[in-house]
Amino acid sequence: MAESVTPEVVPDVGQEEQTRPKSGLEPGYLVICWNDPVNYMDYVTHVFQTVFGWPRKKAEFHMLQVHEQGKSVLTRESMEKAEHYVHQLQKYSLHATMEHDQ
Amino acid sequence: MNLLKLENGDFTFHLSKREKLLLLAVLDRYPLIPSRHQPLSKSAASAESETDQRLLDEALAEHRQENKRRLQTWLENEQRFTKTDSGWHLLLNRSEIEWLLQVLNDIRVGSWIILGSPEKDLWDFTLNEKTAPLGWTMEMAGWFEAALLEALQPGGAT
Repeated sequence: MAESVTPEVVPDVGQEEQTRPKSGLEPGYLVICWNDPVNYMDYVTHVFQTVFGWPRKKAEFHMLQVHEQGKSVLTRESMEKAEHYVHQLQKYSLHATMEHDQ
Repeated sequence: MNLLKLENGDFTFHLSKREKLLLLAVLDRYPLIPSRHQPLSKSAASAESETDQRLLDEALAEHRQENKRRLQTWLENEQRFTKTDSGWHLLLNRSEIEWLLQVLNDIRVGSWIILGSPEKDLWDFTLNEKTAPLGWTMEMAGWFEAALLEALQPGGAT
């Protein structure tokens, strides 16, 4: 049997608090994954599980949303955390961006 | 490429002689995604977002350089593959599989981007001596990814 997937650790953003504007600390940024025809569905599911530590069912739900609706909002975070997640997703070559939630 | 066993967190794969050659040929192409290709945001256009985009580009470039160094070291390890009567055994732990998935998908997605990012049919491009190897690389990288993902599923080991 395969072992369970270990989520990547979100960095401590405490040191950034004094240098970022207050708005960057509030959970006002959406992390979005966009559809493309090249990434396998199983691969996208696996990446969501790994990066967010989600159970397979939740990861599959968001993967299907990407596939069928063109995009999925994965999480709503502060600017720092959103940047972190986008970086992690892009390391896996997924088409992910962060957008300000207005 | 088949998973033979999973023991103490180590995955043992069997590869035929040809599969090993194919895997090495595919990995040799890393990285393929063009630099500064991945936007941080679709909507942001401020000076601050330009700085954030630059930082992201630098982080991804550094990540790829580190992956390239690790790949060279990984391939130079003569004990990575063990010869058998019918081919080779490849020993990987979970961390190495995770890393190889990133490397292989960079190669797959990068090939697709260079081919013009065809949307409906991945092979919707003019086939010639330049594009054919890229199409082949895209398919083979995906094939090895699928084998690794299957191994990670519960019951993946036989």
